[in-house]
Amino acid sequence: MIPDIEGSKDYYKHLSLFWTDLLYLMSSKSQALSSVGPMRAMAANSKRMATELIEMNQRIDVFSQYLIEYYKQLTDTWTEAQKKVNLKIQDLPQDPEHFDAYKRVWIDIFDNDFTELFDSKSFGANYGKMVSEELELAKHWNNIASIILKSANLPNREELDEVYKELHELRRRVARLEASRRYDGA
Amino acid sequence: MEPDARVIEELVKFSSNMARAPNMVKAPDEIDLEITPHETIYSMDKMRLLHYKDDQKPTHKTPILIAYALINRYHILDIHPSKSWVRNLMTQGYDVYMIDWGTPTDIDKYLNFDDYVNMYLDSCVEHVLNNTSTDNLTLQGYCTGGTIATIYATLHPEKVRNYIATAPVIDGWKDTTVISNLSKHVEVDKLVDTVGNMPPEFMYYCFSVLKPFEQGIEKYINFFKNIDNERFVDNFLRVEKWLSDTPPIPGELFREWIKNIYQKNLLIQNKMVVGDQNIDLRKIRMPIFTQVAVGDHLVSPECSMPLHYAVSSKKKTLRLYPTGHVGMIASRLSQKKVLPELGRWLSKKSD
Repeated sequence: MIPDIEGSKDYYKHLSLFWTDLLYLMSSKSQALSSVGPMRAMAANSKRMATELIEMNQRIDVFSQYLIEYYKQLTDTWTEAQKKVNLKIQDLPQDPEHFDAYKRVWIDIFDNDFTELFDSKSFGANYGKMVSEELELAKHWNNIASIILKSANLPNREELDEVYKELHELRRRVARLEASRRYDGA
Repeated sequence: MEPDARVIEELVKFSSNMARAPNMVKAPDEIDLEITPHETIYSMDKMRLLHYKDDQKPTHKTPILIAYALINRYHILDIHPSKSWVRNLMTQGYDVYMIDWGTPTDIDKYLNFDDYVNMYLDSCVEHVLNNTSTDNLTLQGYCTGGTIATIYATLHPEKVRNYIATAPVIDGWKDTTVISNLSKHVEVDKLVDTVGNMPPEFMYYCFSVLKPFEQGIEKYINFFKNIDNERFVDNFLRVEKWLSDTPPIPGELFREWIKNIYQKNLLIQNKMVVGDQNIDLRKIRMPIFTQVAVGDHLVSPECSMPLHYAVSSKKKTLRLYPTGHVGMIASRLSQKKVLPELGRWLSKKSD
């Protein structure tokens, strides 16, 4: 019998969130006493963190599929290239003088075959999806970091980005002012 | 079957070379890549404008400003006294300036094409013109710096007397390199929104898939084989050090780059917009010299050559050289053929 993996995942997700919610409800009253301390903030954020971790776990599954395909493509290409090398070197004398020639054949065939692979649509498409899934993982990780930073009253990435954007605008304005001063002086 | 004695001898020699190597050569970190003396005459944020100095006074009136690429750093154009692009131009009587784009950090993630062209490059041009009391200069753009310089030449043609496009990235759809294929499949918005600046490691991955066996294995075998050849080792380590020093690319610039050049290919279609201004390559009317390397596996010739046909310049020259992306600017061929040809073309237009 094939196990219902999707069903198990959903159940696991439901179970985790159920207990996170329930524990929060049970404990939040007493924690409210220390409302300015880090524990209160951590408790309030625990559900968000648990959700991020669960979703991250699900993403790892998808990412792994693309990663497996990535290595499969590399392995298949390696095998095919090695077969070509084996056929080709039969023509070369098997002595140390021809070692460089053998190396040249090996490198040329491998470089050609791998370049063909990296240039192919199937490699590009799988690579794109793999990077995309990796970014989803990074997003969850960033979200967790943001929650922790927020609970410690530190600026998170979103807030820093606002500062960077503002600074970027200011730098542009200063540059424009300097340029217009140059033109006025000229 | 007994192993051939000569094979064993080769292997022993190779192992011995590997063991001796640390005592014979400098570590890449100990190598100084600054060759030709220069001074920083202007800086803005992390960008610096370098002016190369020599005892010899320039004989040509028009200065040359080089806009280096965004990948790796400017040192490759002055990597070794006998292979220095900068020094060669100076020997030919030119006054040479170079832009070092610097190493962007998170604070620079919103820098875009508009900033690089109309803020950084334009300020550098203004400073060179001021420094030399001239009205215009010769602009050279290399690789991705060629794209920035090309855009600049369309927007500020009055300041560019001559334009040298060296392996410029122009027509993304015609590019046949692996980088182009990967670029077409990357979700660039998600990438930039998530990681900000493009990390050097991501760039290293892209480079590692270009000629992976020749670049990843053979060159290191050759290094240990030639460990007694001082000149070979020095050159190898210099180039290796240069290769391993690539700064991040500002996120917004990278987003525009991938979308507008590789995915939508707007530049060659005269549809790209930079700072609210349409980029029309037909506005380039100054003399233009386009240099293309036939064996370029980073920017394929098909990607660079369309510039020659897209501009309105009456005086335009296209040269193809039997070398690669780096070979065109830092090799014996560049010293013996590429630079003398460029110098001859430029000399009549620089006084």
